[in-house]
This record gives sequence, structure tokens and C-alpha cells, in this order.
Amino acid sequence: MFRLQSSKVLAVDMTGDAVKAKNGSMVAYDGEMAFKKLSGGGEGLRGMVTRRLTGEQMTLMEVKGHGTCFFADRASEINLVGLRGDKLCVEAGNLLAADAGLRTGTTFTGLRGASQGNGLFTTTIEGHGQAAILSDGPAVLLRVGPQYPLTVDPGAYVAHQGNLRQSFQSGVTFRTLMGEGGGEAFQIRFEGDGVVYVQPSERNTIAGDV
Amino acid sequence: MSTYGTPAAGPVVHDPTTLPADDNVDHYTFCVELKGTQWFMQKGKMIAYYGSIDFNGIGHGRLDRLVRTSFHSPLHASDWVVAEGSGKMLLADRAFDVNAYDLEDGNLTIRSGNLLAFQPSLSLKQSIVPGFLTLIGTGKFVAASNGPVVFMEPPIRVDPQALVGWADCPSPCHHYDHGYLTGVMGGLRAMTGLGGASGEEHQFEFVGAGTVLLQSSEALMTEQATGVPPAEPGVPGGGQGQPGGAPRLPGQLGDLQRRFGL
Repeated sequence: MFRLQSSKVLAVDMTGDAVKAKNGSMVAYDGEMAFKKLSGGGEGLRGMVTRRLTGEQMTLMEVKGHGTCFFADRASEINLVGLRGDKLCVEAGNLLAADAGLRTGTTFTGLRGASQGNGLFTTTIEGHGQAAILSDGPAVLLRVGPQYPLTVDPGAYVAHQGNLRQSFQSGVTFRTLMGEGGGEAFQIRFEGDGVVYVQPSERNTIAGDV
Repeated sequence: MSTYGTPAAGPVVHDPTTLPADDNVDHYTFCVELKGTQWFMQKGKMIAYYGSIDFNGIGHGRLDRLVRTSFHSPLHASDWVVAEGSGKMLLADRAFDVNAYDLEDGNLTIRSGNLLAFQPSLSLKQSIVPGFLTLIGTGKFVAASNGPVVFMEPPIRVDPQALVGWADCPSPCHHYDHGYLTGVMGGLRAMTGLGGASGEEHQFEFVGAGTVLLQSSEALMTEQATGVPPAEPGVPGGGQGQPGGAPRLPGQLGDLQRRFGL
């Protein structure tokens, strides 16, 4: 059972079950806990090879036991996400913890990753359970509906959930080349039905200063 | 309606109808509503938007008239863009606190790195004080600060790193703690930090009627270049060069060292 001890500390109450968490993110626990490194994120040999090939590296550990375990990572804000059979896409670096019953994998994201400097692949989480994702500053959740598509700055994108199509928009014109661009040359446009998590801060992106 | 992200007691999910118009979404995110209107904003501070919004560099020819009326700092034009269109746009800056302020036929001088966006009804000018910008007129602007902003009335002395800006016309000037700095020992203390420098020997002093804005931390925002003032005689820092003397090292206290023969 996931709950937020504070906005920056995740507490997980466990009764013999297990969670996957980012390697080294445990800050405290009470009760009996066992920590086991999951090679390749617990996705088996195929997952390991995929991650190695795609560069979407994710070192996870499996925590199992009785009691309460606390997780935190560099004082980043933590957002809880409930999954009911749907799919969450998140950057590997932004995933803090997930129920052990959730399936994790990698997926091709198209051109977004290229502009973000995060690689062309992202981590997916599927199934029923809870996940905790990290953001720099509390994430803003923005709903995307058929009538209102959303456009997001790649540097502020954290995760998305639901049935969304993403397309890559480039506003690069000859003015950008002359150093007078609009400052938002690369954008991701989300269409469909779902929720996008955006953080109030921009990662340094390759396209950051364009 | 979508069912995603609507657990019983889950986080708030925003959509275009629930987002506020020209107000804060939370402490760190500000929502601007555009209805065919325009806003000036610092490059790269948009994090997401609904609707159709265009971002154009100030140099865009079509914006010439707008720039002429409300933008008077041609020298740092490349750091600013104009957002126009219709929709709702979210602004944020490195997870710092953001707040909107209303000016009514007033003036406010702000550290250049703290200003995020402003309405074109305000006009932006370079301040005579290096590194600061002055907004004049009526309208709304958005500023970021590390920690919430505190408003103080002059007379007040403030730490240089905590100063965000000032409104109306207090007179900003430097203040040195002479009692602590005079004599050879004082000079040594100031130069080396040995012998118990408190780090608070230098403040900005404000007197007069007005308001002084402080941030509740001493972490500075990255300076935004405000451009070099025109190289004319009589313009402070106008590129005429300081006559004589070696270039000043960072951390040195003005020309006080000269008096101590250091």
C-alpha cells in the first residue's frame, strides 16, 4: 500500500508482498525487509538485452518484507499513480517505485526522446496497482480529451497515462537559425484520451536554447 | 468523459475548463489565458498549453509595432518571445515559486532573472542599475523567486542576494558596515574572511516611499543578460571603462580597499 509520508517521501506498508523500487532509494524502514537487486529491472533476459540496446537503463531493486519502508530520491516531489489495467509511460529516471505485480517494459517513443536527450525509448508500466513517479517540483496533471489536445515542452514532460497518441512538432524556421526563434522550437502534441504529467521545471534539453 | 486520473481522493487533474485564467495553478505553476491577445515571456518558460499558441522571437517583423510600444530593451531582445493566439498556457521556472503582480499606473524594478512574463500593456525598460529591468504602466506580470516573496516597507537594509526588486521610488544604494571594516584588521577580515567575517558587512539600503520585494532565500536566479548600456558619457557602466586601477576581483568590497591600502 503506497502513501505519501510527505510530498518528498514515499511510505510503503508491506505485509509479505514486494515492490520494485529505484536502486538505492530506500531511506529508512521498520520491520523486516529484504533488498534484492533486480538485474534488468526484473524483465528477464529479453528485457535486459532490450534495455541495454535501447539505452533506457533502469536499475531496480525488489523490496520484500513486513513493515513500512520509506523511499526518497534527491528531494524530488513524488506523485502517486493508480493503475487499473491501463498503461503508464514514464522516463526511467523518473520512476521511483511500483507494485511488484505491475509489468514494466520499454517502448519506442518516436522523436520525442531525441529532442529531450533521454533516448528514443521510454519505460512502460502496465497492470493493476500503484506506482510512484518523481518530478522536479509537484507535477501538474493535465487531461487530454478529444476536443482539447495538449502541447507540452519536452523538457517539462514527466509521464503520461491512458490512450494517447503523441506527435512531434517542430517550430524551427529560418528565424531560429538567425538566433531569433520562439524559444519553443520543439514540442510534443498529445491527442486522444488520457492524462499527462508535467513538471514546473525544464530539464536541460539538447533543444533547450533553440 | 475520461476516467483516467480520477481516483476518489487522488490528485487534481486539470483540463482547459478547470485551469484558472491568469492565476496560479499551484505555487510553482502559473496559467495564462490568451484570447487572441499577446504576452511577452522569457524564452523557454512555457511548459504546456491547450489551444493554438504561437511563439515568435521579438525580431519577428510582424511584431514590430508591439515591440516599439512596450519593449525598450533592444539589447536583450533575443531572450524574449511573444506568445499569441488563443488557449491556456502554463508557465514555470525551475520549480521556483511563481507569482503574478498587478501594476496600476506604477513602476517596478526587478532583477532580470526573476521576471518570467508580462502583458504588453506594460512597458519594459532597462534599469540604470545593472542587471535590473523596470516595468512601467498598468498590467500584470509574472515573477519567479526562490521561496515566497516578502514585501517590506523602507527604510530597510537588505542582503544583496535576497533582493528581488522594488516598486515605486525608494532610492537603492549600497551600505557598508564601516565600524566593522575600518582599520587594517577590518580590511583583512573583509578580504580573507579570517577573523570572523559574518558575511553581512554589505547591504542594499532603501529609503523613501515604496515597497521592497525580498525572496526568502539567498539563492540567486541565473542572471539574464540585460544587454550592455549604450556607450555614452554619463551612462553608468556605459563601456567607457573604469579609469585606472586593476580590474576588481569578485568578493572585493568596492573601493574601500584603496582606503586601507590593500
